[in-house]
Amino acid sequence: MSELRVENLSKSYGETKALDGVNLTVNPSEFLVVMGPSGCGKTTLLLTILGVLRVGQGHVYIDGEDIDSLRIRQRNIGYAPQDFGLFPHLSTHDNVAFGLRARGVDRSEVEARVKEKLSLVGLEGLEQRKPSELSGGQKQRVALARALAIDPCLLLLDEPLSNVDEGTKAEVIVNLKETIRRTGVTTVCVMHDPDDALELGDRIAVMYLGRIIQCTAPKDLLENPEGEVVRRLLHHLLRSQLAES
Amino acid sequence: MRAETKLGRGEPAREPLDKFNFGLRLMAGTFILFMLVSLFYLYVAVGNSWSLVFSALLDSRILGAMWVSVSAAFIVGALAIVVAIPTAYVLTYSEFKGKSLLETLLIEFPQTFPPATVGLVYLLMLGPGSPINIAYTYPAVLIAKLYVSAPFAMSFTLRRFREIHRTGLDVIAESLGGKTRHLLLWVLVPLSTTDLLGGFSLTWARAMGEVAATLIFAGAIPWKTEIFPALIYLTSQSAPELALAASLIAAALSIAALMLFKWIVGRRR
Repeated sequence: MSELRVENLSKSYGETKALDGVNLTVNPSEFLVVMGPSGCGKTTLLLTILGVLRVGQGHVYIDGEDIDSLRIRQRNIGYAPQDFGLFPHLSTHDNVAFGLRARGVDRSEVEARVKEKLSLVGLEGLEQRKPSELSGGQKQRVALARALAIDPCLLLLDEPLSNVDEGTKAEVIVNLKETIRRTGVTTVCVMHDPDDALELGDRIAVMYLGRIIQCTAPKDLLENPEGEVVRRLLHHLLRSQLAES
Repeated sequence: MRAETKLGRGEPAREPLDKFNFGLRLMAGTFILFMLVSLFYLYVAVGNSWSLVFSALLDSRILGAMWVSVSAAFIVGALAIVVAIPTAYVLTYSEFKGKSLLETLLIEFPQTFPPATVGLVYLLMLGPGSPINIAYTYPAVLIAKLYVSAPFAMSFTLRRFREIHRTGLDVIAESLGGKTRHLLLWVLVPLSTTDLLGGFSLTWARAMGEVAATLIFAGAIPWKTEIFPALIYLTSQSAPELALAASLIAAALSIAALMLFKWIVGRRR
């Protein structure tokens, strides 16, 4: 299990600072949720860690190794985007097998690992279905199985619940938590909804205007929100908590 | 919703004439007529000479032109796809100075460059007097047609690759460990088959119709480099019936092939 360390990361688009000196450490096997309003830099942070965006200033380390100069495929990071990014022409089985085949894993090993990952996310029996034949929740699980199939050192999830309907959301959250707990992979998940973030994360990093303004456990975040911005983001949760007490 | 009118329940109320809609339909109708009238006229002009058309199908020169035209158009269509895939890949995934100019030179410019000039340039470059002389040969037919027709395949392929690039599926493929060959052969090409077929079809059509570049660079040697349009042009004065028959055969052949391509593309959607 790997440790992710982001050190003084900055990224600008012209005059706009998308990331402004972000410092972050995610411990091995930890599930960190980066939460904040739209446009606060969450996705930029994720894509910079993944290697899609070049680091402007600062460094990204995995287990102490600076990965800034590595290409995306050399980083061994599992990634599931907001729209799940499933290959529409491939079946569930072939989507999950994609990374293993690209890495030259032999056929019997591919079959065994695809079976194992599909069983892990509870999708046995749907191997031959195309993405267009799956529900939002099922697609999310295929994307997760595919990202986990390559045994990544780090898992990046971009708004994993945004394309899941409300009726199945609770079930998806339980599955997601359980799957990641069982694999023990270090995870960074970007979300805008505080309810979902508090439900999923071991720790929550609140991001605003390209900065991490508070990073702590969900309970502590609710009990000791630092500053007006965090309070505003959590206002309805804080109000319901006050009502309960 | 049907309105209640004095004509009876459920009768639609008579609406005033929608002049805009009428004008639109009138313009569309005029253009459709303009495009179809020449084909209809060709049919009428053949008149009672249908026996000539059937006997033309046994004419060695017409058969030769049919063979050269159709085979060259298929080879050019296939070659265009083969070169369009790597070129579209490079243009999608590489950033360099002058990229926009290069795209214009590869896609739009060949469509405006006079084909006669293309033929002349190739004749000077690869004709008598140059170290490599392939003028008046079948490969010359292919080269002339490829330059004029390949931009269609190029344009379709590039547009599709860029669409896929915008979806981010290429980032997913790379994050999973995919190299260039995996991205190209497992993602880009399979997701572009409809567009590749569309590009092939238009390239084939343009190659069938191209004449000036081919005539100048490859000449019109029966069974070797003489294509349908050249045959029609060269015989229109001396043997107009033959030219007419060849025109009708060429038109029928093209319509049949294009409908077949459309059917194949339609089945894939």
